[in-house]
Amino acid sequence: MIEFLHVFKSYGQDRNILADISFQVTAGEFIFVAGPSGAGKSTLLKLIGGLEAPSRGSIQVNGQRLDQISARAKPYLRRAVGVILQDTHLLFDRSAIDNVLLPLSIMGLSPTTARSRARAALEKVGLSEKELSNPITLSGGEQQRLAIARAIVNRPAILIADEPTANLDPDTARRIMSVFRDFNRVGVTTLIASHDQNLMADYASRAFHISAGRFTDSHPKRAQS
Amino acid sequence: MKSWLIQHRYALFVTLRRFAAQPFSSFTNIAVIALALSLPLIGASLLVSVQPVVRQISVTPELTLFLKTQAPGDAANLIANRIRKEHSELSASVRVVTKDNALTELRNNPAWEQALRVLPGNPLPDAVVVTLSEGPGLAARADALATRWGKWENVDLVQLDSAWVQRLEAILRFARIGLFLLAASVALVVLATVFNTVRMQALSQREEIAVARLVGATESFVRRPFLYLGALTCIFSTLLAILIARCVMIPLNNALASLAHSYNAEFSLGLLPAGQLILAVIAVAVLGALSARWSVNRNTRF
Repeated sequence: MIEFLHVFKSYGQDRNILADISFQVTAGEFIFVAGPSGAGKSTLLKLIGGLEAPSRGSIQVNGQRLDQISARAKPYLRRAVGVILQDTHLLFDRSAIDNVLLPLSIMGLSPTTARSRARAALEKVGLSEKELSNPITLSGGEQQRLAIARAIVNRPAILIADEPTANLDPDTARRIMSVFRDFNRVGVTTLIASHDQNLMADYASRAFHISAGRFTDSHPKRAQS
Repeated sequence: MKSWLIQHRYALFVTLRRFAAQPFSSFTNIAVIALALSLPLIGASLLVSVQPVVRQISVTPELTLFLKTQAPGDAANLIANRIRKEHSELSASVRVVTKDNALTELRNNPAWEQALRVLPGNPLPDAVVVTLSEGPGLAARADALATRWGKWENVDLVQLDSAWVQRLEAILRFARIGLFLLAASVALVVLATVFNTVRMQALSQREEIAVARLVGATESFVRRPFLYLGALTCIFSTLLAILIARCVMIPLNNALASLAHSYNAEFSLGLLPAGQLILAVIAVAVLGALSARWSVNRNTRF
């Protein structure tokens, strides 16, 4: 499903943000990417989502080599990967349901089908009551759940989330993690970057530990060099 | 196909929502473009209105050959026959006006009656009036004939009635070129205004564009609402420009009606025909969409 082979990532002349990263993730796994701030967790997730390109090495996602994919085909790959970034990137000029409808409009679904799928996604994350609310009126946890609804509404094969529980109280964090686990149980490959060791212990099937751009302790049951 | 239509409907909806979100700014842009467009539109309407009048005048240019007073009595008929024989393809009609007929006609005019009564004899010459047939380069042809016929024996003077038509045609040619240059300048104004409008919109929609790309939007999907924005701005502007031109023509026509009445004529200005107006709307809309595409390509690279 996801394969990194000797991947390096650097910006300009700076040191490597990621250095010689190799691993494999099979379909349906729940992976935690752990490590301190600035370790390269976000960069790793952005590489998987095709939001960044590696400086060296090869990345394969959902059967496609990212370095060989054309710019025209990239958006279609992104539809197969649901991305939740640290900043939720919600649009505050429209309602919650309109935020969730955006990926479906991009796919060209009819308004009726799109609306019913958006409502189902909001229901899954427990935001049915808030579909007409402006995201700015939602709490941090609700905004995070809305971002998850938007990421999963077009039924992606892979879900990646960067620090989805940061700045949330423990109860809300566990609720968010339960949402991810529910999606993982129906076969969605899930990768979550987090520094919360407790959450990792409770939910992850595998964890990658990363520090200064290198895997330090990846528990890579199937990792390749 | 259905998905394609849905995406276009979505783009149109997004565009209208953006118009509605900034009504004053949208209207200002439309008004600026409309005012610029109304100038060539009024100019073109003026030209199109004047053209039939000019055409009507220029179809009947006449050359009058005045003979010398001492010319023999049959000279006018001989010259008329010569013109019919040598220039039959150039002359629509040739008619002789004898000095006696001319004097009778003048005496019938009360303005001349008193003056002619005090004259001892008939001071008028015989004349041959030639109506030229219509065709390309009429004015130049009339000039050449006048020069040639002026050299014939017994011909004193050739009066060219089409000289002023030639001048009018030159003025109209000048006006047409001026109008073309004005239209080109206005096209640049439209390009610049739409480019800037789309640039501002793209900057203000930066977050939405980034999110759309994040969730798998193609560049066509990102670009489409801006193309609609450019095209719709131009369509609304052209319609407003037509309305402005129509309004401007009301006082102009009132003024022209009194002027034309003083010449015992009727003349009024009208807008371009409906077909040409529709073509203008489409052309400006395409121009707006192209400008928007150029702008969005340059301003959404982030």
